[in-house]
Amino acid sequence: MKKSVLVSFFAIMLICLFTIPALAAGINVSAAASLREVVNELTGNYTKQNPGVVFQNNFGASGALAKQIENGAPADIFLSANMEWMDYLKTKNLIDEKNVSTFAFNVLVFVGKPETKLAKLQDVVKLEKIAIGSPKSVPAGEYAMEALKKAGLDTQLENKLVMAKDVRECLMYADRGEVDGAFVYKTDALQLAQNVKILFTVPQELYSRVTYPMAITREGSKKSDAAAFMKYLQSDGAQKVLLKYGFSVK
Amino acid sequence: MELQVTLQKRFNNFHLGVEFEVQGERIGVFGPSGCGKSTLVGLIAGLSKPDRGKVILDGETLYDGTKNLNIRPEHRRVGMVFQRPSLFPHLSVKGNLTYGLKRCSPANRKISFDDVVEVLQIKHLMDRGVKYLSGGEKQRVAIGRAVLGNPRLLLLDEPLSALDDSLKFNIVPFLKDVCRTFTIPYLFISHSLLEMQIMTDQVLNLSDGRVLEKTTAEALVRARMGESMAGYMNLLRLTSPQPVDGIYAYNWGNQQLLIASGDSQPEGLFELLSTDIILFKSHPEAISARNLLQCRVIRTFEARHRIGVDLDCGGDGHLVAEVSKQAVEELGIRERSEVYAAVKATAFRKLV
Amino acid sequence: MLGFTPADYSAILLSVKVATTATLLSLPFAFAVAYVMTYRRFRGMVALDVAVNLPLTLPPVVIGYLLLILLGREGLIGRHVLQPLGIQLIFTWKAAVIATAVVGFPLMVRPMRTAMEAIDERLIHVSRLLGAGWFDTIITVILPVSVRGIIAGSVLMFARGLGEFGATVIVAGNIPGVTQTIPLAIYEYASSPRGDVMALSLCAISIAISVVVLVFHEWLARRMVRRD
Repeated sequence: MKKSVLVSFFAIMLICLFTIPALAAGINVSAAASLREVVNELTGNYTKQNPGVVFQNNFGASGALAKQIENGAPADIFLSANMEWMDYLKTKNLIDEKNVSTFAFNVLVFVGKPETKLAKLQDVVKLEKIAIGSPKSVPAGEYAMEALKKAGLDTQLENKLVMAKDVRECLMYADRGEVDGAFVYKTDALQLAQNVKILFTVPQELYSRVTYPMAITREGSKKSDAAAFMKYLQSDGAQKVLLKYGFSVK
Repeated sequence: MELQVTLQKRFNNFHLGVEFEVQGERIGVFGPSGCGKSTLVGLIAGLSKPDRGKVILDGETLYDGTKNLNIRPEHRRVGMVFQRPSLFPHLSVKGNLTYGLKRCSPANRKISFDDVVEVLQIKHLMDRGVKYLSGGEKQRVAIGRAVLGNPRLLLLDEPLSALDDSLKFNIVPFLKDVCRTFTIPYLFISHSLLEMQIMTDQVLNLSDGRVLEKTTAEALVRARMGESMAGYMNLLRLTSPQPVDGIYAYNWGNQQLLIASGDSQPEGLFELLSTDIILFKSHPEAISARNLLQCRVIRTFEARHRIGVDLDCGGDGHLVAEVSKQAVEELGIRERSEVYAAVKATAFRKLV
Repeated sequence: MLGFTPADYSAILLSVKVATTATLLSLPFAFAVAYVMTYRRFRGMVALDVAVNLPLTLPPVVIGYLLLILLGREGLIGRHVLQPLGIQLIFTWKAAVIATAVVGFPLMVRPMRTAMEAIDERLIHVSRLLGAGWFDTIITVILPVSVRGIIAGSVLMFARGLGEFGATVIVAGNIPGVTQTIPLAIYEYASSPRGDVMALSLCAISIAISVVVLVFHEWLARRMVRRD
């Protein structure tokens, strides 16, 4: 009896250790969290037109994604929500420099409950808790912080800022009423806000324009499908989809 | 002390059903292991709850199943000493001793701390922790602790069973002195006849959860004589030893006994088995036994297949010898017969 | 020192504050639960046992989420008790304390129970017969004799509390200066490409605190043993 128990034990161990998940064949796309729906639709469209090309889409805060790629996570195409993280990977030689272009643009807004009496940025100091993407890795948070610093409001908001791991988590906090308001992109608010609405748009002069650079990674440059997909992302068809979701393309 | 008990308790496969009434100061509860002695005592103390019955101590009802009356152990003023001392490990000796004293209402505090310490000779242990005390010291502290709670009844649940023989008879005088000095009645539980003999007057004989009889230690011992290989154990308290020829001579009644296991201590408790006494109809001229006592038979009694012979050896000396029925007939032993009892000096066993 | 920002110093202080508060707050409850489970027989004992040990096997995020549902604006307790009283728990340091206390509760109860079960029943009988009621016995006998278990349980909860992340991040959020404890700060740094040095520095602090706690535990346990 004892021997068969031992054998079964080792068999299970071996199975667990050596079961290799199906290797991601096809193209790995790492994209900013705010691009989730639009990228999923675009890769879906591409697959319909080019059957046989499979996509693995990975979304998150652009800084966190950059770190993943730096640490060896598989990514063929990287779509960031600001230049900083693209530049970061450039310095690490992980981006094919010839293949960087701009994908889309966006606008930073502030959302909250409809009855909140808030009209401009300066009013946010009246609130108790505000959700913001962690400026250490979330571009939406970096943009918001830039604006708050420029407006001289950052010190007043100490102890009131709830750090979110990406811009969608920000929206979720606001939507659930756990915070009084959140800094998100216009596209997130339009797409997904249920219980909150845009209270005001953050004045563009206070922060750098929200720009989404896209690039093929060093790894991706070995795949012909990646280059083809990049071309598609720059096409009119793709831009129509972007506009549908509320992004700007110029 | 007056105790009236009617109790029923059933658990697992055991059923305790007792009914008795006792009055006195030194009561024994005797029986083999598993006969329910500890259960009974636990019920009297209030540590467990009977199925039904009544317990009345000195006129106060401690438990009455019909009236749903069950006084909690902390209010019963019943003390207990267990087989193992169970001293509080986190308190010093003094802390242990005063635990019950502190919780006794001033009205009930009749026993002086210093007196108890004196009687039990534990003054030198006062500030020590309890972990490294010897077995005997621990048990003495346990006795002192129970006594200082000023109980009106002390339950002694096999307090000597865990001690080795020499220690056992060492503790006995302390126990007796404490209870006598402070007039505390006790219920002494044991499976040892010898302990019954030493510690109790009346005995409740328990077997399989039932009280077989209410008797005296003496009667019990005599009845058991025929069943036991050892027969009847004569207990002799002897004094004033004189060294003679390498052994000791003690005073006993108006005679002297020569005892091989004697020593120079002024007083000792000795045991002599009835089976070690040989009876002669007439004075044997020469005999190797060092002790030859002239006795008169008080009476004989039957115990199974043996006959016990109560002997008056002069002064206050009493012995019980044991012979076969044939011997009684052959020697013509009956009331008022004169006999000679021969005992070897080596037959005596020193207990204390 | 080590380039810590004010937010980082807050994180360190907050971690210690939350873990300490959670431990102290839980002590009486854990003791009561351990006592009841050791000394009282009643129906539903198994249910209580399971309930107390559940946080041990549940992922902390599950616990955090359940607490959120319970104590949030729409929750059972939130709606009927907290809101009317004007008490806000979610996204405050109090929520962090609650999350830590719940997650660490079984860790505190277990050693207490073990210590209590090791107490010779006769000691309890003796104390009762010497005139001590059940509460008196708890305070003067059970508590002192099981103190090593109490200390062990406290240390375990404190240590677990220093490392609490899953439940805390959900129910207290990551608010620098308010609820961002060391694990949350490390997580934030670890997500950032340039944050590795800071993350490691905070790890070192975390280890240092744990070492101090464990050494203190040893010293305290030795002192508690009565010497002759």
